[in-house]
Amino acid sequence: MTDASTVEGSDTVVAAEELDDLTLVVRAQEGDTRAFEILVRRHQRPLYRLAVRLLDNRSDAEDALQEAFVAAWRRLGGFRGEATFSSWMYRIVTNRCLKLLRRRRPVTTLEDLGDPPGPDGASPEHSAERQDRAAALQRALQNLSIDQRACWILRELHGLSYEDIAAIVGASPDAVRGRLHRARCNLAEVMTPWR
Amino acid sequence: MTSFTTPSDGAPTHPQLRVSDTVVARVAAYHACRVPGVLRLRPNLAQSMASIATRLFPPRDGEHRMPTDGVTAVVEDGHAEIAIALITRWGHNCRDIAEQVQSQVTEQIHSYTGLPATVTITITEVSYDD
Amino acid sequence: MAVNGTRPQHDVALLACGRDAATVWERAVAGRTSAHDRSCPHCQAVADDQRLLATAVAALVEEAVEPPPSLTERVMGAVLAELRPSHYLPLPTRHGHARIDRVTAAGVLRHAVAQMSALRVRSCQIHLIEPSRSGDTSGDDASAESALGSPMVRIDISVTARFGADLLSATARVRQMILAAAEDLLGLPVATVDVEVVDVFEDPARRPH
Repeated sequence: MTDASTVEGSDTVVAAEELDDLTLVVRAQEGDTRAFEILVRRHQRPLYRLAVRLLDNRSDAEDALQEAFVAAWRRLGGFRGEATFSSWMYRIVTNRCLKLLRRRRPVTTLEDLGDPPGPDGASPEHSAERQDRAAALQRALQNLSIDQRACWILRELHGLSYEDIAAIVGASPDAVRGRLHRARCNLAEVMTPWR
Repeated sequence: MTSFTTPSDGAPTHPQLRVSDTVVARVAAYHACRVPGVLRLRPNLAQSMASIATRLFPPRDGEHRMPTDGVTAVVEDGHAEIAIALITRWGHNCRDIAEQVQSQVTEQIHSYTGLPATVTITITEVSYDD
Repeated sequence: MAVNGTRPQHDVALLACGRDAATVWERAVAGRTSAHDRSCPHCQAVADDQRLLATAVAALVEEAVEPPPSLTERVMGAVLAELRPSHYLPLPTRHGHARIDRVTAAGVLRHAVAQMSALRVRSCQIHLIEPSRSGDTSGDDASAESALGSPMVRIDISVTARFGADLLSATARVRQMILAAAEDLLGLPVATVDVEVVDVFEDPARRPH
């Protein structure tokens, strides 16, 4: 019987948590659920924020994200590494949310964003003002068309390139650019009182 | 639950023991767990559900039932057919563990019940945690 | 609003000064405004809008929006509940049948070489070599039955290598470690181990010896 230390006395153990996405994806494709769990933990934060901003509702966002990850697990065999895992997940989550939004139609309630963050050392007026500003923008977002909203969020809150956004929403980079600009103009107009 | 039954037609010339599937499964589970390198047995889905039910609705009589999770046993024609699913500890040789569980369980079943047994092992997981 | 004209065919708005509003906006974002941008009232209005939104965006980004800790559990619960057919590899024991889950066995091999700093295992597949039915096979697989008469396995691994590592010796070492682990930790008779280096990685945080 051999134990781990006699198999190879060598340097540091590379924790699975430190492995690159592609290695984890290949392992998950080969059935390793632990590798998939690391991917979920690693990527859930920005994807959750994306879903919350798109859906304007935390519990819907949670459901959408869970469904997106399970769908990703099922479709993992089709992931060939031509995109990064992150952008592949962005596409799945965005499409999941857009589908929900189109089904939802008459835009539902505005606020389900939970507790606002506490004071962060700045003057109370200042931080309250920032919160109000953020809330106003979040509200304004809900008045955009679904396509404009998706393009704007992916660009301004997630910093994706036009090409990446185009691939995610299934439009040309030019169309993305147009939607983004109209979204910006619409938002600026609504936010005018904050000038 | 009747664990042991003796033939009802009076005293037999050669004492004969009839043993239920459950007895074989419980005894097999008991000995399989004690083989070094075995972390625990791995219940199948139906057994997991049953064990949740037992936890939610414990038996009233307070009787302590030995677990059979991870083991299925069928006694037929004086022979016990046993399948054990188990989780082993990292660092132990999987084949050796399987072999030891097979020989331990076969031996113990035979000495306790008199039945010859065939034991099939499935290692479902290896635990790295300890 | 600063926008007063559109070119529908291009889907972007033109300002009264003839500049493309989206481009002016992007320049304002990047802080690379031209002399015209700074003097033109139309372009200035775009830059004002951009600043207005940038403040609000910063406030929005600051908001604590964290996934609940239960999310991973929910996802993994659903993933683990997905019924997938299991595949097994036979373990050659002397009495009765024994087998090990194929994914589990691959995990053991990966874990065994996780200490190697020069290589990381990406793919690890264990294939059962079916014993040849007729005697006409020649070559590697002809010896697919071990001394015990049990089928043997072929292990295919792909690895990424730390940039600068000696590929030849690193792959030789990983092959030997995989062989040892298959025998010592799994008890699987191995016919061959194939190692393919598929990528290299940089490891700036690597500790000096």
